[in-house]
Amino acid sequence: MQKMLVVDYEKCTGCRLCELVCAVKHEGVSNPLRARIHIVKWEMKGIMVPMICNQCESAPCISVCPTNARTRDEEQRKVNVDYDKCIGCKMCIVACPFGAVSFDPFASRIISCDLCDGDPRCADFCETGALRYVEASQSNKQRQREAAEKLYESMRKFTAAYTG
Amino acid sequence: MNQETTSESIAKGRTLGAFRCLNCFVRISPPKGATTYKCPHCGFEWRVSWPLPDLPRIRGPVWEVNRRLAEEAIAKKKKGKK
Amino acid sequence: MALNRKIAYINLTTGEIETKPIPLEIRKMFLGGRGLDMYLMYNHIKPGIDPLGPDNVALVSAGLLVGTLASASARTHVAGKSPLTGFVGSTNMGGFFAPEMRWAGFDHLVIKGKAEKPVYLWIHNGEIEIRDGSSIWGKTVQETQEIIREELGDSDVKILTIGIAGENLVRYANVMTELKNAGGRSGMGALLGSKNLKAIAARGTMDIKIAHPSEALEYNRKIIRQITSAKVSQTQGRLGTNFIWGATNTQGLVRVRNFQLNQLEDSDDIEPEKLDEFNIGMTGCFGCQVHCRGKYIIPSGPYAGVYAEGPEYTSIGAWAGEPGCRNPLTILVGNHLVNSYGLDTLETGSMIAWAMELYEEGILTSKDTDGLDLRFGNDEAVIEMVHRIANRKGLGDILAEGPLRAAKKIGKNSIKYSIQVKGMSNLHSDERPTPALALGIATGSRGSDHLRSRPAIDLYHLPEPVLRKIYSQPVPYDGPLSSDYRDYEGKPWQVFWHEMCYEAVDCLGICKYHTTFLGATLPNFEEWSKLLYYNTGLEMSPLDIWTVAERCYNIERLFNIREGLTRKDDWLSDRYFDEPTTVGIPGVRNKTLDREKFKKMIDEYYEHHGWDENGVPRPETLRRLGIDKEPSHML
Repeated sequence: MQKMLVVDYEKCTGCRLCELVCAVKHEGVSNPLRARIHIVKWEMKGIMVPMICNQCESAPCISVCPTNARTRDEEQRKVNVDYDKCIGCKMCIVACPFGAVSFDPFASRIISCDLCDGDPRCADFCETGALRYVEASQSNKQRQREAAEKLYESMRKFTAAYTG
Repeated sequence: MNQETTSESIAKGRTLGAFRCLNCFVRISPPKGATTYKCPHCGFEWRVSWPLPDLPRIRGPVWEVNRRLAEEAIAKKKKGKK
Repeated sequence: MALNRKIAYINLTTGEIETKPIPLEIRKMFLGGRGLDMYLMYNHIKPGIDPLGPDNVALVSAGLLVGTLASASARTHVAGKSPLTGFVGSTNMGGFFAPEMRWAGFDHLVIKGKAEKPVYLWIHNGEIEIRDGSSIWGKTVQETQEIIREELGDSDVKILTIGIAGENLVRYANVMTELKNAGGRSGMGALLGSKNLKAIAARGTMDIKIAHPSEALEYNRKIIRQITSAKVSQTQGRLGTNFIWGATNTQGLVRVRNFQLNQLEDSDDIEPEKLDEFNIGMTGCFGCQVHCRGKYIIPSGPYAGVYAEGPEYTSIGAWAGEPGCRNPLTILVGNHLVNSYGLDTLETGSMIAWAMELYEEGILTSKDTDGLDLRFGNDEAVIEMVHRIANRKGLGDILAEGPLRAAKKIGKNSIKYSIQVKGMSNLHSDERPTPALALGIATGSRGSDHLRSRPAIDLYHLPEPVLRKIYSQPVPYDGPLSSDYRDYEGKPWQVFWHEMCYEAVDCLGICKYHTTFLGATLPNFEEWSKLLYYNTGLEMSPLDIWTVAERCYNIERLFNIREGLTRKDDWLSDRYFDEPTTVGIPGVRNKTLDREKFKKMIDEYYEHHGWDENGVPRPETLRRLGIDKEPSHML
């Protein structure tokens, strides 16, 4: 069964452990610049949003890649990069609507989420539930349930108010 | 990495769903969802809250007794001054 | 790697900046953070200087494990001679500043002299620049950070700053970062203010190489589980640190109406579960999965709609218990104000509560307060006093000087009512029924404070075998231990043990909530030994780390003694011994501390440290720790 990385923005506490874990897993260093995930923050408003490759089904980064270095991995439902083909032209950075592709100046190469080849460590470390790696069929289930619960609650109040 | 540390070994004795009565310090388990609970050992009554569904916490005492004592203490102090 | 971060010496008078590597032998002796700061403090600050003069030195640092895979490795440490006490000034805060400073290449800043005009430091990938601070002078903590980010054109810049209280040299002003990470106690904000140094901005993208990355990942995964499975972490992640105030108030271990009662009865409106109703989510510090910090929006009043974070348990003490108030709004607003002004919530709350008792006693009158009705329970008066202290207006100007100087100005035996040690007011807790906690605040190197040595797990009534397990590592101990927090026996060892625990963790830059502070199952020396090895490659046994802590704590003691500290300073207000507690659970009513027993505790505590009966480290102790030749000026 195919899995996908689900981000629940409301659950993110902004700790940036995902950035740290990502950089250590891929590069062996602590350096958020070299992570494939970033928490974008409005600190003074308490807003934190994890930004990561959404592994688009029809990915702009693939369309613009002049050397076909970026390809679709249907099995893991993600975007693959062939570094032997990549010429580092950075067109993918320009094309990505989420800013999820970046350039690692230390390794002089393009980086984006590779789902840790089916075991994304960020989701493994995130205990808040902001990042979860789940079956594709379950991707919306939790959110749906939570929303339904709120709906149910307000309907119950509505009914109670009108029926006394 | 696998050798157990002191803290890990202590964690094995952890009890879920219980807390220590803050009066007699015996470990007690209120029924799930209870909002008040009288300690079966010392009879002290507590208000209980549940930060998580299986994690009870003493929210506070039932206040009447404490209120009387506080009032007495302040009254005594004021009297002593006059 | 994590060991190659540099130290920078910055002279604000001359504008000179020099950077140096930190030799490995010094790392092994002091690790980093608070420990190395204490070494630098003893070596760079001349005895007897004015803490608000240009000769004082501000030390800013990151712990050795900051930014690495050690859970909650987020802590910034700031040190210098305290403007409040004249002894060790030292503060530790969470947030995101310290990791950013490390990514920018630096672990330690030694800031000397005084800038002619307001400035801020800009630290960026190995470079340090002194920049004009005229646009941020007079701004709040939050405004300052927004302006600097705008000026530098980078929203990811992390900023350590002082507020208006620091500029006004309030002797207990904080250093702050982000919305509410507060480096409180001992007035490090006033120290920065005295140097005209408003802020330090950092941004870095330099690698911190992890020595054994895959092992570090696996071990961190395991240790996070160890931390978040603890009941105390789960409660904290849900209710924030407020639960601590709830638990201690339930028993009757908090100060109310300054020191007149030991429980705020009928406090349902401000208990943690009630404050939780204002909570709109949780947030936390770098790399932490406990997320103990609440987010809220002030619901009504003049500050309605303001977004703020917290409050913490000390704020309930400061804005409810101590002044005898029961209005949640006072807590929410008070917390927001001190975080904007950059004031120490504990000291501010204590000073106001003290002034309230003086007002009740007639020592202060409405003439002194400019007509403000400073009676207990007056919420408006409490909030008004925060403004007056931060801006040094009227009585606020006197209270801004801290308990000893203020008592001198007010006179009339006002000092008798102050709950302070070494010139620092106590936090909101009442230690009369708990000798161990009392010993901790009496002996703490920075004054009356719980974060130096409080054995908080002493309140849990843990069975003796569990206590034995905890307290007989990494150094053996076969003396007495008691589960009852009202006992005196064995407590000096616990205080000593926690002192070493907190010193060590402050050297490493990990949060105390991830140690044996509030939970018996949380990590300590054994875990840190592994974290050090996997992350930095440094091979240090649990005992080695303990020895570093001992070394650093002895340097703190040496510093204090050099500044005139004697055994008499390790003592509490007479009220602890003369006025019995009145309320709380039956077991804590009618309690005072026993002078003779308390003296014996101090003797025993000195003995554990290897200090003589006057509290002076014995020559053999200093030799054993390799610090008998201080100051050695190795850095």
